[in-house]
Amino acid sequence: MEQLKTIGRELAMGSQGGFGQSKEFLDLIKSIGETRSKAEEDRIVLREIETLKSRLSSPNTPKFKLKEYLIRLLYVEMLGHDASFGYIHAVKMTHDENLLLKRTGYLAVTLFLNEDHDLIILIVNTIQKDLKSDNYLVVCAALNAVCRLINEETIPAVLPQVVELLGHQKETVRKKAVMALHRFYQRAPGSVSHLISNFRKRLCDNDPGVMGATLCPLFDLIMTDVDSYKDLVVSFVNILKQVAERRLPKSYDYHQMPAPFVQIKLLKILSLLGSGDKKASEQIYTIVGDIIRKSDSTSNIGNAILYECICCVSSLHPNPKLLEAAADAISKFLKSDSHNLRYLGIDALSRLIKISPEIAEQHQLAVIDCLEDPDDTLKRKTFELLYKMTKSSNVEVIVDRMINYMISINDSHYKTEIASRCVELAEQFAPSNRWFIQTMNKVFEHAGDLVNSKVAHNLMRLIAEGFGEDDDAVDSQLRSSAVESYLQIMGEPKLPSAFLQVICWVLGEYGTAGGKYSASYITGKLCDLAEAHSTDDLVKAYAVTALMKIYSFEIAAGRKVDILPECQSLIEEMLASHSTDLQQRAYELQAILGLDAHAVKKIMPVDSTCEDIEIDKNLSFLDGYVQQSLENGAQPYIPDSERSGMYNINNFKNQEDLESSTHALRFEAYEIPKPSLPPVVASSTELVPVPELSYVADILQPTTSITSASSSDAGSSDLKLRLDGVQRKWGRPNYSTPEPPKSSNNTVKIQNEATLHDSVGISNSKARVVSYDSRKQQVEIPPEKQKLAASLFGGASKSERRHSSSSQKTSKTQNHTADKSHVAVKTSQPPPPDLMDLGEPSSNISAPSIDPFKQLEGLLDLTQDTTSLSTGGVGATEAPDFSSLFADMSLSAQSDDFASQVSSVNSSNGLGGSTTERSIQQQLNKGPNLKEALEKDALVRQLGVTPSGQNPNLFKDLLG
Amino acid sequence: MGIRFVLMVNKQGQTRLAQYYEYLNIEERRTLEGEIVRKCLARNEQQCSFVEHRNYKVVYRRYASLFFLVGVDNEENELAILEFIHLLVETMDRHFGNVCELDIMFHLEKAHFMLEEMVMNGCIVETSKASILSPIQLMDKAA
Repeated sequence: MEQLKTIGRELAMGSQGGFGQSKEFLDLIKSIGETRSKAEEDRIVLREIETLKSRLSSPNTPKFKLKEYLIRLLYVEMLGHDASFGYIHAVKMTHDENLLLKRTGYLAVTLFLNEDHDLIILIVNTIQKDLKSDNYLVVCAALNAVCRLINEETIPAVLPQVVELLGHQKETVRKKAVMALHRFYQRAPGSVSHLISNFRKRLCDNDPGVMGATLCPLFDLIMTDVDSYKDLVVSFVNILKQVAERRLPKSYDYHQMPAPFVQIKLLKILSLLGSGDKKASEQIYTIVGDIIRKSDSTSNIGNAILYECICCVSSLHPNPKLLEAAADAISKFLKSDSHNLRYLGIDALSRLIKISPEIAEQHQLAVIDCLEDPDDTLKRKTFELLYKMTKSSNVEVIVDRMINYMISINDSHYKTEIASRCVELAEQFAPSNRWFIQTMNKVFEHAGDLVNSKVAHNLMRLIAEGFGEDDDAVDSQLRSSAVESYLQIMGEPKLPSAFLQVICWVLGEYGTAGGKYSASYITGKLCDLAEAHSTDDLVKAYAVTALMKIYSFEIAAGRKVDILPECQSLIEEMLASHSTDLQQRAYELQAILGLDAHAVKKIMPVDSTCEDIEIDKNLSFLDGYVQQSLENGAQPYIPDSERSGMYNINNFKNQEDLESSTHALRFEAYEIPKPSLPPVVASSTELVPVPELSYVADILQPTTSITSASSSDAGSSDLKLRLDGVQRKWGRPNYSTPEPPKSSNNTVKIQNEATLHDSVGISNSKARVVSYDSRKQQVEIPPEKQKLAASLFGGASKSERRHSSSSQKTSKTQNHTADKSHVAVKTSQPPPPDLMDLGEPSSNISAPSIDPFKQLEGLLDLTQDTTSLSTGGVGATEAPDFSSLFADMSLSAQSDDFASQVSSVNSSNGLGGSTTERSIQQQLNKGPNLKEALEKDALVRQLGVTPSGQNPNLFKDLLG
Repeated sequence: MGIRFVLMVNKQGQTRLAQYYEYLNIEERRTLEGEIVRKCLARNEQQCSFVEHRNYKVVYRRYASLFFLVGVDNEENELAILEFIHLLVETMDRHFGNVCELDIMFHLEKAHFMLEEMVMNGCIVETSKASILSPIQLMDKAA
């Protein structure tokens, strides 16, 4: 309602100015909203571009007007037109004092420019200034921009400030500083390699938002180097446990699920850390089992977490209990009516199948249903699964299906992918040569132009080398079946070029090999092919070379070569070809035809494509010639490196390189001259802190721009300004003083015992699923599906039998386990005390634990300007009522600590109050409010932005 | 990288908000948006909310006439992204009250500000509605 009024106010202000939107803006939005065609929209935008060009160029535009123009520029670009004429105004607006204008300026700049744009250099200075602002919202706006606009070259300009902000008292600033550092890591890992310990430190931040954000850089780091982070497994497990036990503030709940996005990120990290590591996996089992057991499979977000758990289980060292739970979850997914869940089920199945291949069997019918579903996304996912479960027993069915699907689609991106998969599977599992050749023919026939040219070369090599067995008979059988099928297929129109090349090559090598086909027959076919594809020089080249091979084999065998008239004319045509490559080949062919059998045998040995050609890189066969020349008085050869005349030039060039590398941009402020003081004293004053040297040593790298800047500090370079006795004002702050060695896992303990009873719950839920399973199996299954299932999985009937017996067993145990699980549920019924519930004022008092990291921070952050940061910026001064709303949150956040809480988890209770909290939450989650919507609609109409009936949807509530 | 882009496009294929986390020029954006919307419009309610497009996986959700589309890479949890979209809409709804397409159009910069709080470097960094909205509300007060 409050917002509604603001909209109304803003609309009412109309052209009267203020910070509201002008009538012009409203009209523009209205007309854009009501367009029906792209052409109409383009017309409006083009007109708008003209308006903006003239408005922006007039000198005395008020600032609030400029903000509106900027947003109109955003529209211009968003709707697909160039707005570069206005970029400079976005840059200018970032300099503005007003926060809203500044942030809009930054937003526009991040949307308009990429990080290598020339205008960025004009913003770096503003960013530097804003990072030092007293108003934390200004700092946040600048950090947002840092994440989007700072490239490798400009990182050094803001890095010190960003690092300093990691210890800022406002949690949003810390969070954004972490992400800025993450961005630097993404851009140039080397630039922040000495700062990575900061991420570990921030993982233990008081604020869950900062902790959650820190998971992103840590995920990336762990991805590249798992082994260095194994010590964090315990910490991650503990955080996940706390999150799952609802110890985060209620505001992180989403649909009654505690911080699900943080849970998912943590599960991703744990699956990286536990992958292939038995010891680490064992630490993770309990919490994952816990989450699976507690999961809520009625909501999307619950299923998202469940799915992530399955992914985690499939990557951990196998654990039978968890695998069973995962398999149960998968069968729930696959039996769902929701396509989204079935999609996830298929995906999860393809992950789990690596560990326990037998689980696919019980889901064969579900898989086949997905495969035959008209939904393309589901179908593709299923093909991915089939690809992963292909063996020599089912390869024929699977590849056949894949090829049929490949033929049916138009999307070239996916067609390429599926074609290369077919090829791969065929190469790996082909049951027979005949089938292999036929499959390859089909793939090439339908997707030949899309597959990588490597695939064609692979095929040629495979035919030449055979399947690696030493049995020559098998190889020659493969070749002759290839030749036969190619002779059949080559007459068809519209064969892709790559395929034709393969055909030509194979016919040239093996066309006459078995003696089944005469040379004149094969050469005739090749000529036909070359003529049919006379525009494709590559195919013609392959054809001529094939002709050359066949003729030389004939000559070598001592038979009389008898060139068909059409071949003769083809060769003659090529002798005069525009393509020098074709000419060359034709001339070579002619030359070979004139040679005797002995010479030809040397030039074109039969079936020698697989033999390695040795290259004599030292050109030793010329040794004799060189020796002879030397004896005749020739000058000996001087190697390149020893030639003295060249030395200077090389040296000069090196120098130039060196200079260009030191000419990189510098962003440090110039040093201010200081009164005469001996340099030794200067370095010991407060202004130039001693640990600076360690910073220099850390960051010093020969190629970065820092070298030039820091050379004066080191005092060892011979070319520098005489700065002795000059006071330093803007010395680099000592933000990277060596930290006292500490590891965050000291503060956390494993709590496995508490969750051991989860196995009961798992087996119980499984029992339910299996009985459901057996019920569904009784439904009539069409025979063709059964047949398909049998060919894919090796028999549906077999597994069905197994099912019924197992369901009997489980139904017996069901009652038994039900009691047990009931007990388990009962014990866990009292809601866990919410230690970290920031919504409760009482938690301030009850959790006075001392934060070890807080203390450490206090020691570390010597340079932090506490006076400027302590006031809450705009919020504290101008909106006291508002800040009071958030006051309790920040207060309790300070008293709580992620890592240090663990020890007091069990001992604390009696905080309660969570139920009332929830009911309030529910009240807040209001449904669509018809009255409000109508009012708003009426208001907007009244103000002249009436939808002309063309697009009434503009007013529809999105959540309605 | 995770999230590669967030788009809001209406049924007519008109873009209402576009945020890319990797650089594409205007022409590339225009074609990408057109292709994806066409693909999503061709699908029915029962089908998956995920669509593969070139090397992106697109998770989409329709609210009234507006499509929310999020392009992600292969490692992302699709269902979680689907719920992330809903969280975004709920957040906007809390701010605007019964949010509609026109609200986003009139307050494009605010919608962007919310997204800036939620996603950085292509990662989901903030999911608490209070934390997402507080800087925006503070700015409103200051202005």
